[in-house]
Amino acid sequence: MIAAVCIDDSCGLQFNHRRQSRDRVVTEDLLQSAKGHPLWIAPISQTLFPEERVSVATDFLEQAGEGDWCFVEDQPLLPVLSRLEAVVLYRWNRTYPADFYLDVIPWEAGWRLTSREEFPGHSHKLITKEVYLP
Amino acid sequence: MKRTAISLCTLLFLLTLVLSGCPDPESGTTSLSFSLDDVPAFSDTPYVVLNDNQPDFPEEDRTTNSFESYSPLDALGRCGVAYANVGVDLMPTEDRGDIGQVKPTGWHTVKYDIVDGKYLYNRCHLIGYQLTGENANEENLITGTRYMNVDGMLPFENMVADYVQETENHVLYRVTPIFEGDNLVASGVQMEAWSVEDSGEGICFNVYCYNSQPGVTIDYATGESWLTEEGQPETEEADYVLNTSSKKFHLPDCSGVASMSESNRQDYTGSREELIAQGYSPCGICNP
Repeated sequence: MIAAVCIDDSCGLQFNHRRQSRDRVVTEDLLQSAKGHPLWIAPISQTLFPEERVSVATDFLEQAGEGDWCFVEDQPLLPVLSRLEAVVLYRWNRTYPADFYLDVIPWEAGWRLTSREEFPGHSHKLITKEVYLP
Repeated sequence: MKRTAISLCTLLFLLTLVLSGCPDPESGTTSLSFSLDDVPAFSDTPYVVLNDNQPDFPEEDRTTNSFESYSPLDALGRCGVAYANVGVDLMPTEDRGDIGQVKPTGWHTVKYDIVDGKYLYNRCHLIGYQLTGENANEENLITGTRYMNVDGMLPFENMVADYVQETENHVLYRVTPIFEGDNLVASGVQMEAWSVEDSGEGICFNVYCYNSQPGVTIDYATGESWLTEEGQPETEEADYVLNTSSKKFHLPDCSGVASMSESNRQDYTGSREELIAQGYSPCGICNP
């Protein structure tokens, strides 16, 4: 599976059970990137995506198969580390408050950065997309 | 993956703290919505959560009408509550101008090498410029440490600003400076926010940010300051985890350690200064 995660400068994902930030440009980029493959999300992510283009399940990390994309906002990745084919990071390039953090840090795990692109968001000046392979 | 938001330090503020005495012109409240006895003494986190992150806004203010209000300065010239219902219509459309002409109570221009940007104090907006576009409004500027401004308040301002820009929803937003007695410098600020259109699903927090600066001691009565005496915790020995490949060092409970390759991992006990001298740099996640 390919895990896509939005993080701030401290690798945070959430504060007080809420996403740190959102941007419609990221949502669209994610839908385009996953085109042709299932895109799994948790129920809390439903407000971001058109329902006909995603698969929703609380246990989506268990259900997702090889080649499937998973947008992860509130779950640890360590339990599925051995099944991760890639990690795609969308970096806000901002600092937000955080109490829930990414637990698989690709550069600390020795993963290889294979691509990096920067683009403006709708509400963010600059978003960086990075793809890491194990 | 969960990081503790509140320090476990058992020392509590046992001081009786009072507000600046300026009533909030919108909500009419003059008393704190939390007990400062429950706020731990400052240790190593820029903010702590209050009341399980639940803010305290009056029902009648939960509307989609933008507003902003600032308390008149009190007899000592101190700021009071700043309150707004932030919408895109309040947000600035041009870059911030000069605010150097404002001298908030307790202001000193003082520099330390250990402070990011050198200057200990910033003219600190209660409601950030990016939210309501208030520039040199003396009723919205306090003497705040660089640490409180950047590490404490700014992340919350960023989160609210980006949410409002993205959704065009409104966010009730209140910042209350906390002054002890007749002190001229606030001990900290309470920040509360709640998104209106989605009933707090997008934004909901209630936190206290410390007006402190690691390594510097502040006399809050006057704003005078000095370097904290030697023997600060950061110069003492501690346990770290090194990544011999990335040349980063981490606290043992950092999320970056969990997925670290065993072949690159090395446990270490010593001072951070020694590690930096060896070419290591502190992890940006756990800030050891």
